[in-house]
Amino acid sequence: MMKRRRAAAVMMAAMMTAGALAGCQSGQKAADTGAGSGAQSQAVQESTEAVQESAGAAQSQTVQESTGAEQSQAVQENGEAVQKESVELIVFAAASMTETLTEIAQMYKEIRPEVEIIYTFDSSGTLKTQIQEGADCDIFISAAQKQMNQLDISADPSVNTEGLDFVLEGSRFNLVENKVVLAVPDNNPAGITSYEDLGTDKLNLICLGNDDVPVGAYSIEILTTLGILEQLENDSKITYGSNVKEVTTQVKEASVDCGIIYATDAFSAGLTVVDEAEEDQCGQVIYPAAVLNISKHQEEARDFLDYLTTDDCGAVFESVGFSIAR
Amino acid sequence: MDWYPLYNSLRIALISSVIVFFTGIFAAYYIARLNRVVKGILDVILTLPMVLPPTVVGYFLLLLLGAKRPVGMWFQEQFGIKLVMTWYSGIFAAAVVAFPLMYRTARGAFESFDETLAYSGQTLGLSNTYIFWRIRMPACRQGILAGAVLSFARALGEYGATSMLAGYTPGRTATISTTVYQLWRTDNEALAFQWVVVNVMISAVVLLTVNMLEEKNRKERR
Repeated sequence: MMKRRRAAAVMMAAMMTAGALAGCQSGQKAADTGAGSGAQSQAVQESTEAVQESAGAAQSQTVQESTGAEQSQAVQENGEAVQKESVELIVFAAASMTETLTEIAQMYKEIRPEVEIIYTFDSSGTLKTQIQEGADCDIFISAAQKQMNQLDISADPSVNTEGLDFVLEGSRFNLVENKVVLAVPDNNPAGITSYEDLGTDKLNLICLGNDDVPVGAYSIEILTTLGILEQLENDSKITYGSNVKEVTTQVKEASVDCGIIYATDAFSAGLTVVDEAEEDQCGQVIYPAAVLNISKHQEEARDFLDYLTTDDCGAVFESVGFSIAR
Repeated sequence: MDWYPLYNSLRIALISSVIVFFTGIFAAYYIARLNRVVKGILDVILTLPMVLPPTVVGYFLLLLLGAKRPVGMWFQEQFGIKLVMTWYSGIFAAAVVAFPLMYRTARGAFESFDETLAYSGQTLGLSNTYIFWRIRMPACRQGILAGAVLSFARALGEYGATSMLAGYTPGRTATISTTVYQLWRTDNEALAFQWVVVNVMISAVVLLTVNMLEEKNRKERR
């Protein structure tokens, strides 16, 4: 009987500990849902931005650029005389263009109010698969030639292995150029200062894009050139993000020691760049753009791509660190 | 085939279901005794993770445990350990998501318990501890076991919050669910399929166990 009592007492102690844990849990939740202290609500505000980004990383982020007022105006015009029908242009673009293209859509609205630009931003690899699977899309802007080639029948069959024909002939051109950089969180906790440092003990965890994501492919090229890829893989020092924005968020949140991303994403997220890849390390990073032949609005799509080559748009691209490729 | 994801998934699921087992029973037992208003509020809070998308749970957890967030920073300063991007980050995610399953089923079992049994124990001078472990728990055994199995299964299948908290580091934080996603993404369909088969088999065994427990329960009641 005594023995049983003691056993029961031990069990109770275990339960109390567990209960204390449960208490913590519900307490934490209450803090989240409730107004919370000033410091906490501030923290929540600060993090909103970062989390929006990670939401984008988890799922494709669709940004719709249109206001109700405009639509109703368009309807009114239609009512009077069918002059300008409003057109929806669906643009699939590399995640790294999120900020610039969103800004450009605002500008374009003033020039062509009847054209509504609808974006989906994700990794070029994902977008390519979605196009292939039959997604409605008028314009594709990829962060590397590879994904565009895979959809272009005029590309080499060794690249376009599935013989896909989606790119509208003559509409493809190189839009911008980016740089692949090594970015670290604020204060650089691990003290990493160059790509060479990645092979040392300073590094505990690095975030890269998957190899179907252009930035991931570039990262792998850089690490292979340095001859440290295998070592990092064997030491399990690489964590994979599914697009460049996810990698950026991991670095920004200091979840990893560093990450390989684009210069433009580092700029937009306000991250410290410690090293920049040379052309002999990963080649040129060119963003090709094209109208797709499945588009029902090819004329409007061409107009929009033409607009992207204007000086106004060039200034927007250059403001975040792209250079114009031509 | 590298079996690390299986090992890691099982480890995360086991540890989190042990945590959830005790916390869930504890919560179910004590919350049932609170007054209606408090009970209602706590009940909603504790059940929320079951109906929220796992990404929302992951968001809340990241706000707390991230390397730059209050709890995460505190642990970093006090113990020098990171709470995100490690294998055990998956435990936080799995435990929070699986908790409501244990809590709900345990509460259901406790509610159907005949309180006169507890009262008669008290008239015999038995301690409440004794009554809880020797009378209440055995009487509610089936329901509680079913809850434990269900929460284990849920913890094993956790993806959304886990991928946000632990990321995907092969050989470190990879679980079956994150591995399947990554393999599919990187066009490694054959290997992804093998993991899918492994996962389906484990889940089928778990569900079979639940069904057998329920059947046993029904027979005993008859």
